[in-house]
Amino acid sequence: MLNYRDMSVADLLALAPPGWGGVLLDGLWLSLQVAGAGYIIGLLIGGSGALLKISGGPLTRDLLTCYTTLVRSIPELVLILLIYFAGPVALNQLLSALGLPKIEISPLVAGITVIALVQGAYITEVVRGAIEAIPVGHIEAARSLGMRPFTIFRRITLPELLPTALPGLSNLWLIATKDTALLAVVGFSELTLVARQAAATTKHHLLFLCAAGLLYLIVSVISNWLFRRLENRVNRGQSHV
Amino acid sequence: MKFKKLLLATTASLMLLSTAASADITRIGIATEPYPPFSVPDAAGNYNGWEIEIANAVCAAAKLECEIVASAWDGIIPSLKAEKIDVIAASLSVTAARLKVIDFSNKYYQTGAALIGAANSSIAPTAAGVGGKTIGIQSASIHQAYAAKHFPDASIREYQSQDEANQDLFAGRIDATLADVLTLDAFLASEEGQACCKLLGIAKNDVEILGEGIGFGLRKGNDELKAKLNAAIDQIRSDGTYAKISAKYFDFNIYGD
Repeated sequence: MLNYRDMSVADLLALAPPGWGGVLLDGLWLSLQVAGAGYIIGLLIGGSGALLKISGGPLTRDLLTCYTTLVRSIPELVLILLIYFAGPVALNQLLSALGLPKIEISPLVAGITVIALVQGAYITEVVRGAIEAIPVGHIEAARSLGMRPFTIFRRITLPELLPTALPGLSNLWLIATKDTALLAVVGFSELTLVARQAAATTKHHLLFLCAAGLLYLIVSVISNWLFRRLENRVNRGQSHV
Repeated sequence: MKFKKLLLATTASLMLLSTAASADITRIGIATEPYPPFSVPDAAGNYNGWEIEIANAVCAAAKLECEIVASAWDGIIPSLKAEKIDVIAASLSVTAARLKVIDFSNKYYQTGAALIGAANSSIAPTAAGVGGKTIGIQSASIHQAYAAKHFPDASIREYQSQDEANQDLFAGRIDATLADVLTLDAFLASEEGQACCKLLGIAKNDVEILGEGIGFGLRKGNDELKAKLNAAIDQIRSDGTYAKISAKYFDFNIYGD
């Protein structure tokens, strides 16, 4: 067994083994992959969900309300456990009933699915609110000029909803990056799990938990900066109140 | 509808990401949490330790192609039931509650009840050996139940914690203390333990009180794999592989009796 107790902080955080720095960065990269993929799919779900909630028929609207209400009221941790443990069993029973081969859901896929479902539900509501804040007259004016629905979306709806929706969306992104920590429960080696492993193996708990906290902070600070630039861009030409 | 297509495309791509389960590889599930010296992760992403070596030796003896899969300790039985792993090798004690949901191989180790005492002591961990001696024991522990049943002639002194019993042994107030061998081994390795005490022996097992030991966890109904593992455990026990691996980690008999 390695003697971690007498190692210096620099040695402990070194990128190459026996230092754990590289492991932490790998964990961060996995966290960002899950958060990024989940968020992008969530944006697709949320965008389409919001449009359908506003313009869809009564059935679609009710189904979407079910989705957003259910997902927003179940803790993410429970959803992760359901999708990772119960999901595959149910799915494989269905597949073998249909005579299809079994599939296996990896922790990565389960994680992306959960983040996407959760983000999708919240984004649906954020975007719906932003669309509803657009004055009806703007859309009517576009229609009276003969614009097709897609053109209206591209020229009127999207530019007008973004300034209202972006602060909410940037919040959701930050939540997504930290929700990945919940995947530790299924043994997915994201940042929190590897930090806890490093801490327990080396017995330098404070050092590794602080290092993980610092990495999360760096992600947040960079994200905030990017979102602020994005906000400045979509707000251009608008008078600030 | 655009949304439906999108949903289908998303689902399809997720399915592609997931790999089909492979039937030939036996997945050995271990806990991500370090449990030295049984299973310790290193910074290169590998797991080392006594239990990992034993699991690999069992796989080799059973001619199984094995893969070590780390999953969280909390979810290790659900992982087995959801067929994410095929065998649990995570120091899982055989208990009646667990036997209701999963099956176990024969034991591959058992941390017995050890008796330690002063370095010049010659007390044996038997009823006759401890007769008339003062034995320190943590109250309400399985070891107290063991002593009450098997050491009727010893005078038992109860402690709130094993640490206090160890301290009194160090101070010479008791003749010996009975506890789990791993706990006591850690004390013997400490500065105080090295100065005062030594291992007197492992008490004879009593399945009713001390349990059946630690076995590989298996899904119920997986009898073929169970038979292979049991045969492999016997084989590495008899051909010396088990003793060779254990000698690297422990200076006592980790198998129990």
